[in-house]
Amino acid sequence: MKKILKISAIAAAVAVAGACQRGEKSGAAGPTVALVMKTLNNPFFMDMQQGAEGAARRLGIHLISQAAEREVDVEKQMQIIENLIQRQVGVICVSPSGSREIIPAILKANRAGIPVIAVDTRVDSAALQQAGGEIAAFVGSDNVQGGRIAGEFIADKLNGRGKIAVLEGIPGHETGDARLRGFHSAIRQNPGIEIAASQTANWERDQGYNVFQNILQSHPGIEAVFACNDMMALGAVEAIAAIGRTGEILVVGFDAVTDAQQAIRRGAMHGTIAQNPAEMGRIAVERASDLLQGKTIAKNIPVKIELISR
Amino acid sequence: MKRFILHYGRQFGTLIGLFVLCLIFWILTPHFLTLANLLNIAQQTSINAIIAVGMTFVIISAGIDLSVGSILAFSGVVLAGALHAGAPLPLALITGMITGGLCGLVNGLLISLGRLPPFIATLGMMSVARGAALMFSNGRPVSGFSEPFRFIANGELFHIPFPVILMLAIYLIAHFVLQRTKLGRYTYAIGGNEEAAFLSGINVKLYKTLVYVLCGLLSAVAAVILTARLNSAQPIAGIMYELDAIAAAVIGGTSLIGGVGSVATTLVGAFIMGVLRNGLNILGVSSFIQQTVIGSVIIFAVLIDMALKKKGK
Repeated sequence: MKKILKISAIAAAVAVAGACQRGEKSGAAGPTVALVMKTLNNPFFMDMQQGAEGAARRLGIHLISQAAEREVDVEKQMQIIENLIQRQVGVICVSPSGSREIIPAILKANRAGIPVIAVDTRVDSAALQQAGGEIAAFVGSDNVQGGRIAGEFIADKLNGRGKIAVLEGIPGHETGDARLRGFHSAIRQNPGIEIAASQTANWERDQGYNVFQNILQSHPGIEAVFACNDMMALGAVEAIAAIGRTGEILVVGFDAVTDAQQAIRRGAMHGTIAQNPAEMGRIAVERASDLLQGKTIAKNIPVKIELISR
Repeated sequence: MKRFILHYGRQFGTLIGLFVLCLIFWILTPHFLTLANLLNIAQQTSINAIIAVGMTFVIISAGIDLSVGSILAFSGVVLAGALHAGAPLPLALITGMITGGLCGLVNGLLISLGRLPPFIATLGMMSVARGAALMFSNGRPVSGFSEPFRFIANGELFHIPFPVILMLAIYLIAHFVLQRTKLGRYTYAIGGNEEAAFLSGINVKLYKTLVYVLCGLLSAVAAVILTARLNSAQPIAGIMYELDAIAAAVIGGTSLIGGVGSVATTLVGAFIMGVLRNGLNILGVSSFIQQTVIGSVIIFAVLIDMALKKKGK
């Protein structure tokens, strides 16, 4: 009796899930493209999924969107890719949770003859080459260009002279390093501007607060700060508010999260660089469709990136 | 006699559950029941299944170990660090194992000698080992290893992936240890009634400690496979793996009250989770629904378990 109860419980649960997928049975007509994101607990990837779904509808592609439960869980992401290889999807678009850790999964897709498009986060190209793997394309923001735009904005606002500070991301993260490179290249064009302090706040808001407070102690003359993401920028905004100088120090962040956009509207922050995840999803699916039709596609596809300011 | 029937009836029930699950996926998609996919599932299940062996021992002894994921991360980066420092493979593997074993030993001593509740001791270790992993690796993943090491995850013997062979070997040994040796029988005795076990002359402190050492060691084994699989050891690896391991044991009918359970059913429990994830991925079911389905299966499994227990009394 209990046995039957248990079996029926499991069967019911799976049947419910199956029912939600009615009409999407594998083997359905039309090519299949998979989009594997880092997580769906982040608005960034929700936007990416929506962009991809829109393109898939338009092109008559069957899109399978999957994500790990946690953003850092690259092993689950690898499992998802392995399972999709078994499903024999046409193209896999993936936003890697680890630039190197994802490589074994890419190799498996390569062996199965399934092209892989990297979206948003790059795959470590040196390690990929060494492993003998290959990706069809990278679709994502040009973080170097984003950093450069931020640098030019600050230089412009300060009229080419003054002391500034930088809040860096976790050292070794490709995204943060690229933004920093772009920022430095813009600042180098303006010899009147001096980077008085540049420290990591590990992407986090509370550390952004503490680190920038310390920087202000040792360099009271700082006129502007560039943070490699909005979280750290918002921390700096709080540190500035704590000494009653809101609006006097120029704060520029990256990512255009909702809180940062609000801070810009009330004048506590001055700029942020917006990425466009929906565009990334759309372009990834469109290029996947090109691949399925045997067309060749560009290896590096930059997605529009723009400054948001008041 | 009745206990005997109930015990094996349950074991059988979990297995039937697994078969029904496979049947459903087989009906829903042609990509599920292929040899390649079944081996794929076995390979994906191996890491959780190996951690779940240690967890089953701990839970049978009426304990819990929340630190397995962090121990996995710590022993992983230590192992990777040893390999990068040029240590020969066997030495690096032993270093990783010792790291896991030592963390388990500290857990065991805190619980047996320090009389801390297992929940608290391992909750502390969860944070300590995670911090140690971050400190050891400076917060960065340690990646890129030689071919012999990577064989542990990618190699095959007789067309069977090596992690699967390792998993099966560990389960055979663990089953023997749990059913036929002092350590196994004392684990049941301690979990069933610690006081009675003590009064009948069992060295409760020693055997309780050993159970946590075993759990730490098996987390380190899982770390070896994970590190070889990703070709990288991440200090942030294994977050929430403890819950997957607990779930495998519990779906397999191991009682959180202690004294009841077996590793054979834990293996079936781990496979139920692996098959669910795989099948739902292949069907392209939304990630949100997947979490709900897996959670529901765990809840139903425990509901049945409790109902059975009531009947047994």
